[in-house]
Amino acid sequence: MVNQPKSMMKKLNRLIGISITILLISCGQQKNDPTANLNQPYPSQSGGALVDAMSGEPSGLIAMMAGESSASAIASNIFNSLLKYDKNLELTGELAQSWDVSSDQKTITFHLKPNLKWADGHALTSDDVLFTWKTVTDDKTRSPYGADYKLVKKAEAPNPSTFKVTYEAPYAPALDSWSGLHILPKHLLQGQDINNTSFSRNPVGSHYYQLDQWKKGESITLKRNPNGTQGQAKIDRLISRIIPDRAAQFLELMADNIDSMSLNSIQYARIFPARPDLTAKIAQYKELGNSYTYLGFNLKRKPFDDVRVRQAINYAIDKQEIIDGVLLGLGLPVASPYKPGTRWSNPKLQPYPYDPQKAIALLKEAGFEDHDHDGILDKDGKPLSFEILTNQNKEREMSAVLVQRRLKEIGIDVKIRVVEWATFISRFIKTGDFNVVLLGWGLGLEPDQFNIWHSSQQAPGQFNFIGYHNTHVDQLLEAGRLELNPDKRMKIYHEFAEVLLADSPVVYLFAGYGLPAINKRVNGIDDPAPPAGIGHNSYEWYIPAPLRRNEMSAE
Amino acid sequence: MLKYLINRLFWMVPLLVGISLISFLIMHLAPGDITATEASFNPKTSEESRQKLRELYNLDKPVIVQYGLWLKRMSTLNFGHSFASHQSPVFWQETDKEGNVTKGMIQEALPITLLINVLSLILIIGLALPLGVISALTQNKLPDRSITIFVFIGFAIPSFWLALMLMYWTGVSHNWLPISGLHTLGAEKLSAFAQLLDTLKHLTLPILISGLTGLAGISLFVRNGMLDVLHQDYITTARAKGLPENTVVYKHALRNALLPLITIFGLSIPGLIGGSVIAESIFAIPGMGKLFYDAVLMRDFPVIMGILTIGSALTLIGNLLADLAYAWADPRVRKGVSQ
Repeated sequence: MVNQPKSMMKKLNRLIGISITILLISCGQQKNDPTANLNQPYPSQSGGALVDAMSGEPSGLIAMMAGESSASAIASNIFNSLLKYDKNLELTGELAQSWDVSSDQKTITFHLKPNLKWADGHALTSDDVLFTWKTVTDDKTRSPYGADYKLVKKAEAPNPSTFKVTYEAPYAPALDSWSGLHILPKHLLQGQDINNTSFSRNPVGSHYYQLDQWKKGESITLKRNPNGTQGQAKIDRLISRIIPDRAAQFLELMADNIDSMSLNSIQYARIFPARPDLTAKIAQYKELGNSYTYLGFNLKRKPFDDVRVRQAINYAIDKQEIIDGVLLGLGLPVASPYKPGTRWSNPKLQPYPYDPQKAIALLKEAGFEDHDHDGILDKDGKPLSFEILTNQNKEREMSAVLVQRRLKEIGIDVKIRVVEWATFISRFIKTGDFNVVLLGWGLGLEPDQFNIWHSSQQAPGQFNFIGYHNTHVDQLLEAGRLELNPDKRMKIYHEFAEVLLADSPVVYLFAGYGLPAINKRVNGIDDPAPPAGIGHNSYEWYIPAPLRRNEMSAE
Repeated sequence: MLKYLINRLFWMVPLLVGISLISFLIMHLAPGDITATEASFNPKTSEESRQKLRELYNLDKPVIVQYGLWLKRMSTLNFGHSFASHQSPVFWQETDKEGNVTKGMIQEALPITLLINVLSLILIIGLALPLGVISALTQNKLPDRSITIFVFIGFAIPSFWLALMLMYWTGVSHNWLPISGLHTLGAEKLSAFAQLLDTLKHLTLPILISGLTGLAGISLFVRNGMLDVLHQDYITTARAKGLPENTVVYKHALRNALLPLITIFGLSIPGLIGGSVIAESIFAIPGMGKLFYDAVLMRDFPVIMGILTIGSALTLIGNLLADLAYAWADPRVRKGVSQ
């Protein structure tokens, strides 16, 4: 009886010892990898497998039904659209070789490339395109994306290589909409219920890759499609492992079990520079993301109906400080809702500079002064005080804190409220019950932002929830929708962005960079990234044979 | 006894309906539905199509009508289809007319969660019993104190942090264990035995972490139960009879001290199907915790209700089993029941 506790104690001590050791190892020694040959040039060759990590699992691979970003990420390797965006984010043909716009700008005719095939060998024709259009516009299809396609008055497939759509009125965003619709095979889907067809888990497409294996909750493996309509990709297999936690993804990247992931700014700007063993084998890239973060005012409420107040707040916020503090410098200030460097972004526009004196002057002009000397500006006895509402998102929460601090300096009292997403939308956005929100919008590849800024889009559930109403902007947005000529359109949207900036219905805070990290065994990646990001030529990436991971290397 | 059993089973039905009604109402109290997800906040989508979806899923009807529809479907044991996950069946697989099988969401998530929880429960019991007994026998002495400190460290340490540290240590610094997931890529090419070994290696850390967290409760329970019993008169009697100390401790004391554990195990049956969201996310395990958490965020009502219903049914069954086991193990209870 006396002995037993003692031996237990020994075990216990050992266990405690181990746990303490673990506590001490915060930055243990790396095992040495033979990374010496990673930097020499290799000729392009095909083969190998690329393993990446994604945080969520797609519910299905029919993008129009699924909606999650993980679904479109995988599906866009399997399916083609009629059009696509090239590396400079200009529209170009994918399945379509060319397209004509009729002189009244109402009819678009797509000419398909010759000899297109599905992965199963069937011919891909305009009949499939017509079938896809019918599916997405069908009332029984549970897709939220039908609106753009329902504007088509007549769609026809006069011959196997021609697809023609006619709109009621000229509709310029139409071209963009045809770059976002994955064409589905009629011969496999006809007569099926698109809402729960097993095709979504076992798809047949026409792009570089086809589905090889889907292990639920674990990984999705794609293999090269020998009938690919866009040619042959260099890498044989793409494996996406589902790892929800970013920290776990990072450990897998460090241990060389995955080849690529997207980093957060701390990993990119703090951990990597401090770890030469990582930079020796993993390359970091920087590409401008597809969204911007903004502070939006409820324009139906006082005092935000006064443009001077909005401009004052814009001047009072130091955007560079937010970029440095929240994104560790890995972002850009923006002056329009378009991606800097693309055609639609007006190069003349500059963000509001940080100028607290000007902000105070503007507020004074609007009647806000600190009459009662409590440190907070007031007008008619009411203090200038409001709540910034945002959802549970670390970047947004941190930005809100920095905004709060800068506004406090000029005498505006700001409170911050963070709520869960669904609550945020139903309780506050839909009902219009908010003062100021901190949110994000996409930096559109398609310049039409009618749904966000046009005064007619303010009903509950629509996207102009800040209540923006400017007749000039309305006119420009309407004109932009009717103009299919890219150069004329560009002028319209440059003017639109200029008016919007002066009116300051929202304060553009920043557009963050996407930060992919890719193992150096993957060659052929464009650096620096073009506007479309590094992925635009992923089919040309290759993994030289000596650098390939051994199958089952972990064992 | 049989009458008692039938009586208990009969009363479970209204209890289940009541639980499901309350869960259903609370779930619908949370603002938002499937059309208010982050993905649907996209200017390319339209309010009309969202309204159409709400109608298709009956979300535009009053909550009580929705509950009625759900109850009607459940009465035929039909758990329905997920809103968010492309109409996947919630509970069990379905075969369409072409013979393609779509696996149920719970069907896929449950086995892995069950496996992890059962293994970690075995680990917990295996460690907690000796630790608790040693603690009780050396009450307030060094071994007792050390054990108590150790189990409380295990209980108090943030498990996600410990998990990450262990993953770094065993997976990155040393290539001892895999970091996340359930299988190594390409594991299906291995022999059956190697595959089993591969899975066990992947499960080591998750089980260890969940075992460490659960150790405190059970070992302290055993310790206190043991202490109570050791101070009973019949233990003194046994010692006075001159029985060997081992017989006194293990035959007379421990067996009686373990009785309350039955209740604990009964209560832990529903816990077996619930996974930990944090552990499952970190270790990339597609289990029940993650399924439920995602369903709540997506307001995927059929999945939430499916998991809650199964969970509450198991809780009731667990309680019943615990009571029955108690009656079997303790003659005093048995007598009380049959009277």
